Amino acid sequence: MKELRIPIGTGGVLTRRSVIAGTAAAVGATWLMTNLSGCAVVGGAPGAIPLKFWHLLSGGDGIKMAGLVDEANSQNPSFFATQTVLTWGTPYYTKLAMASAGGRAPDVAIMHASRLPGYAPGGLLDPWDLDLLAHYGVTEADFPAPIWNAGKSEGRVFSIALDAHPFILMYNTDIAAQAGVLGADGQLIDISTPDQFVDVARKMQAVTGVHGLSYGYLGDGAQMWRLFYTFYKQLGATMTLEPGTEAVVDEDAAVTALEFMQLLLDDTIATASGDYATALAEFVNSGSGMFFTGVWELPTMVTAGLPFDARTIPTMFGTPAVYADSHAFVLPHQNDPDPVKREEVYVFVSQILKDSIAWAQAGHIPAFLPIVESPEYADLLPQAHYANAAEILNYDPQAWFTGSGSDFQTFFAENVQSVLLDKTDARAGFQGFVRRLNVLLSKPNPV
Amino acid sequence: MTTTVQSVAAAPRQASRPARRRHRENGTGWAFIAPFGVFFLLFLIVPVVGGIWLSFTGQTLTGRGGDFIGIANYAEALADSDMWRSIGNTIWFTVLSTVPLIVIALVMAVLVGLGLPGQWLWRLSFFLPYLLASSVVSLFWIWMYNPQLGLINSFLGFFGGEPVAWLQDPDVAMIAIVVTTVWWTVGFNFLLYLAALQNIPEQQYEAAALDGAGKWRQLFSITIPQLAPTTVLLVILQVLASLKVFDQIYQMTGGGPGGATRSTVEYIFEAGFTGYRFGYSSAISYIFFALIVIVSISQFTIMNRRGARS
Repeated sequence: MKELRIPIGTGGVLTRRSVIAGTAAAVGATWLMTNLSGCAVVGGAPGAIPLKFWHLLSGGDGIKMAGLVDEANSQNPSFFATQTVLTWGTPYYTKLAMASAGGRAPDVAIMHASRLPGYAPGGLLDPWDLDLLAHYGVTEADFPAPIWNAGKSEGRVFSIALDAHPFILMYNTDIAAQAGVLGADGQLIDISTPDQFVDVARKMQAVTGVHGLSYGYLGDGAQMWRLFYTFYKQLGATMTLEPGTEAVVDEDAAVTALEFMQLLLDDTIATASGDYATALAEFVNSGSGMFFTGVWELPTMVTAGLPFDARTIPTMFGTPAVYADSHAFVLPHQNDPDPVKREEVYVFVSQILKDSIAWAQAGHIPAFLPIVESPEYADLLPQAHYANAAEILNYDPQAWFTGSGSDFQTFFAENVQSVLLDKTDARAGFQGFVRRLNVLLSKPNPV
Repeated sequence: MTTTVQSVAAAPRQASRPARRRHRENGTGWAFIAPFGVFFLLFLIVPVVGGIWLSFTGQTLTGRGGDFIGIANYAEALADSDMWRSIGNTIWFTVLSTVPLIVIALVMAVLVGLGLPGQWLWRLSFFLPYLLASSVVSLFWIWMYNPQLGLINSFLGFFGGEPVAWLQDPDVAMIAIVVTTVWWTVGFNFLLYLAALQNIPEQQYEAAALDGAGKWRQLFSITIPQLAPTTVLLVILQVLASLKVFDQIYQMTGGGPGGATRSTVEYIFEAGFTGYRFGYSSAISYIFFALIVIVSISQFTIMNRRGARS
């Protein structure tokens, strides 16, 4: 090798002196930042017990949760909870699992209830003490049965739900009015068949001139699964995933659901190639009249000042059903939990549940019935218009690999995206997905 | 070595002093590399050996299944079509990325070497992307590749082209990743070429010009052959860097769509951290490690043979 002369300094752009000065400044800034953030950890009243709280809520949800945590801290000087917010999906769940596997996990965390089968049986979570919870005013009777049961594993309760967040239908009331699809009550007319839905969407498309419906799914297994599973369950179908046996599915129902989705993604009713952000932007900018989305996008619409309303996704295939999941409080496994600290966690969680009307403002349906049954919630619009979704919730089929942000959704995307995007054969796409599930089911359960 | 042996034979009594000094110098040398050696041992050798053990167990993330299960993981991996597909993707990425990363770097270096005005600006703009963190690069390009709002599709649309779902279409996603990677890392190769260009003696060009060689003849007969050692170095570095691609794929497509961009390292990550199966994940790592060793040895063999011929 010849000697390499790296010609950076020759132009006077980068001198040794400036590099040293720059590095010193960077080191100084880093030192300052770490020390300042260090200050933030120690807060609250003197003697307050610090609680470490992990969650994956960002955007509007994140702001609301920060408010709830601040409120809980100020109401209860005995503890001071600090949040660590991690990226939604795989990054969060890998970190939470690693922390729990090491036994030095945060004191309390939020998980999707659908991820419980991948965590609780493996000892990554500690169960809740129901007597202690009742002592702080939270009992099983305070939750709708399906939501409470989603927190159970092998007979014990591992997660206490904060909310249920179904997939819903939002619509632009101005566009709907112009399209003549509003009923006398000012809400979207009743829809009970796929044809009616298509008809309403086409009328809205005639108004916007762009699309009738917004739905983003490209590269996003969670989005594909949410709408698919809603239709699949509306068809009365079930999916059972038992390790050691083949997946039990209803292939005909799956094909019907996928073919209806293909029909909607025809570049007229909805764009054939929309991703999450594009669909959101389209609906906000009145490029469409309807939007299949999660309740969590409600604050976005409010902020944008859009004239809109929301409802449960209409029952088009006979059985009322929607896809949903819950944000739920869990106790990540600690090898040697401090009982005093644990008890403060119960106070913290019960406080947030009792304040969860604020969480309803972020769009979610609170799980805590005293809130849902309160007059404030009945007055909260459009939240109250889809509160009935809580009765027809469907969580993911149970298996260690399913749930929000899991590989399960990735596998669904791998096999189904081409069905939706390139309109390939729906049956073949779904069969590919089932084959993938069977491979996973044939392997030993790592949990 | 020979000199030491001779001196010992010739003057046994005086031999102890230089030997002792050498001993002391060796000691100082070891002391100097000790800090590195400790980290090397703790964070490379120990995990590598531990990983071999792990690959023969059914260890999961939850701590279960730590028992020895023989070669079951290896047998499963070798029959796992997803693993082979990820290896295929990795090789495809390496082929697609290595060639432009070298050719484009060479072209840029030669152009800058021509003595264009504003040298510093060219050097800076070609090298700057290399200084960015992978997450920043990924975010830039995710937005530029956006099918509806992205810069690239608006540009295509301006010329009447159809919009392309760059990161969502399995047929083009890998190419999109390669384009990003080339933009991001070509600056390093460019810099090495530029340095090497400045080491080519000016007299050779003068002599060639006197003999009537034009610019093109000079490029092919002087510049490129003189850059050969740098090219060899870059090919070796680039192939190894491309084989371990992970960051931009994880951030831009997560291995999708439909596994079309899932590299081997991505698959190892998924098997271990989202699939919880550390043992299986380790087994894939060692299979991949074996492949890389084979690639490296064949590279050195080919290079050595060529070196011996010339």
